[in-house]
Amino acid sequence: MGGPDATSARAAAVSAVASGPRLLGWFRSQTSRRLGFGYLLLTPAAVYVLLLVGAPFLFSLYLALSDATVGEQVAGFIGFENFKSALEMDTFWIAFRNSVTFFVVAAIFKSILGTSLAFLLLQTFRGKKIVRALVVIPFTLPIAVSVLAWKWMYDSQFSVFNWVLSRMGLIGQYGTDSWPVWLGNPRLALIACIGVNVWRTFPFSAIVLLAGFTSVPPEVLDAAKVDGCNFLQRFHNVVVPMIFPILMVGFLFDTVFTLSDLSVVYILTQGGPGNATQILPMLAYQIGIQAGNLGRGAAIALFLVPLLAPAMFLFLRNLKRREY
Amino acid sequence: MNDGQATMMNPGSVSRRRFLRVAGAGVAGSSLLTMIEARQAPAQIKGSNLRILTWSHFIPAYDTWFDKMAKEWGDQSGVKVRVDHIPHLEIPARMAAEFAAGAGHDILFNGSTILTRIYYKNLVDLTEVYDQVGKKYGGWIPAARSPVEVEGRIYGMPVYYILLPMIWRKDLFDQAGLQAPDTWEQARVAARTLKAKGHPTGIQFSHCNDANLNWRSVLFSFGGSETDPSGENPTIDSKETREALRFAKALFDEGMTPEVFSWDDASDNRYLASGVACWVHDAISAYRTTQETNPTVFQQAHIGLEPAGPGGKRVSTSAPNAFMVWKFSKNVPAAKEFLAHLMDMDKQGMIESTGYNMPFLNDTAKKPMPVIGTDPKLQVLQDFPKIVAFFGYPGPYTTQIQEVANLFVLPDMFTRVARGASVDESVKWGAGEYQRIFAKHKRA
Repeated sequence: MGGPDATSARAAAVSAVASGPRLLGWFRSQTSRRLGFGYLLLTPAAVYVLLLVGAPFLFSLYLALSDATVGEQVAGFIGFENFKSALEMDTFWIAFRNSVTFFVVAAIFKSILGTSLAFLLLQTFRGKKIVRALVVIPFTLPIAVSVLAWKWMYDSQFSVFNWVLSRMGLIGQYGTDSWPVWLGNPRLALIACIGVNVWRTFPFSAIVLLAGFTSVPPEVLDAAKVDGCNFLQRFHNVVVPMIFPILMVGFLFDTVFTLSDLSVVYILTQGGPGNATQILPMLAYQIGIQAGNLGRGAAIALFLVPLLAPAMFLFLRNLKRREY
Repeated sequence: MNDGQATMMNPGSVSRRRFLRVAGAGVAGSSLLTMIEARQAPAQIKGSNLRILTWSHFIPAYDTWFDKMAKEWGDQSGVKVRVDHIPHLEIPARMAAEFAAGAGHDILFNGSTILTRIYYKNLVDLTEVYDQVGKKYGGWIPAARSPVEVEGRIYGMPVYYILLPMIWRKDLFDQAGLQAPDTWEQARVAARTLKAKGHPTGIQFSHCNDANLNWRSVLFSFGGSETDPSGENPTIDSKETREALRFAKALFDEGMTPEVFSWDDASDNRYLASGVACWVHDAISAYRTTQETNPTVFQQAHIGLEPAGPGGKRVSTSAPNAFMVWKFSKNVPAAKEFLAHLMDMDKQGMIESTGYNMPFLNDTAKKPMPVIGTDPKLQVLQDFPKIVAFFGYPGPYTTQIQEVANLFVLPDMFTRVARGASVDESVKWGAGEYQRIFAKHKRA
């Protein structure tokens, strides 16, 4: 009676009938309840992330694909027109290049200065707590106040840097060719902006690293010392692998802070002279808010995503690999 | 308006409801205008609230006066008035936020960045109040409509503009036997001569509002223009633009130092006050501040008319300031009433700003003007109303011009030339940017 097809069909029917109660049973099991409870606990965090990160991201995506302006509540879909027009702009490419330069140079200096500061703060000395509190001042000061102070220090006429350098005989008097115009020379202006960004945020890197360093058990370091490791070997082979997750999270934050930092350039140069310090967030603000073209501004801002996404992916993948 | 016209054309079709609506609106409108003219607050605004957003004026005494004046008007009219001051650069972002929320202030200020054309569909039509105020005070100066007019209607009340005249050091000019800088050529010769004596000049080759204003004054005085009179087509690629760029290059090479590439709006004030500058082209705040910071310079600083270009043309590009009323405001009658009152106080406002605010109304602009009319050094400012222009000249102040200004395209053209790029190359780049921006707006 029946061929192989009929046999397999019967077997499938039997298994389906049997799996019904089994599935029901699984839902009633301790495992599923624990899983369900876990997801329930996770829900607030997921909703929080979706609302605070997902919704604005999707909204900016919607704006970037539309002809939205600040003066219209209704916007029409225009496809990738805003992205296309951004790519057609000379200024966009200058801003893109400057953003990458800004990020890479700032990251290098923040790593060096942050690590050095963290090591210094690890040492035992009198007034250590006060010094630890003082070093975070650049990070905690209102950005407008601190950057305005820097603007004065970079002033073409009254720069305190130039005054000191001139007194030391390293540069000439005001009005001579050797008098640096910090915010007027294209190269110096970009360096000046990066300098302020580094000054503001390297204490953050230092604090993150310090937290990591203090979590390394001293006996592990002592053991490495006994094994004959010098300072650099201990740092590279013992400390870094142990604090890697903290390092990555700090780096992640720092990448986002640096690439999206608008205030320093806005207050110091407004992207000038001649777009020498133009960066993507500044350009997006000028076009999106000041000139009122929300759609184009959003499209320019979204070009930060391809810059950020690979970095995020690499950091997180590395982090995950190290966890296992 | 349309209802009214329809009623006139088809009298037979007028329903009772429509008649009452049109007649009611007419009566309400005319009584509001009568009250505005009579300076009497209508009863309907009593007990309402009015929130005003304005900038932090460069002359703090003006803000003190403004707040007091608004409060006194509120007390007399039975309106609770609240005035908030924020830096003018923050206004575009605040305006966008208020529009998106559909809530916020009733009256808001636009200064330098004029967004009338972006928001006009959401702003109250102020044409009637504008006309009424103009009628009462001898009309408006020719440039008044440009920043606030869209499709023949007025969506903002132009309150004052800020001039950037020539401020020059008479002592230095006299010592060198130089003529007062009445033309741009004379200004260049003076800068060349006095730079050699340690007194260069400076105009911002950077990203700031003064750079946008000053280089436009040079361009327009050289006969150049940004758009055609319709404002729809850019005209930046011209012989006159090239002449203006050549002049700027010569002025930079001969009479300036590279620090101008780093300047912001206040740098030229400091340059003058420090005693270094032989002349600056700036708002009179530069002159005023020297009164306290460097009295010697103050005594020797003189104000000149806008220098003439090679053809004798003088155009002074100024920064307009206007108040607008949101359509979502629940207190439109009170807002209109307040703006009319503010314009009644035009002369007083000019006094309180120590002559910094220049009037849009002809009566206030009549000689002698308050403050500047009685100060021998400032009297020349009274001749500016005829030559004032705004961004986009000779066309209106459009959204595309606003974007051009926000991206500092024009100062960047001048900067490129000063840095050594060829004039043709810079014009090609600048004209390309104008075309690109205008084309995008046309597509939109």
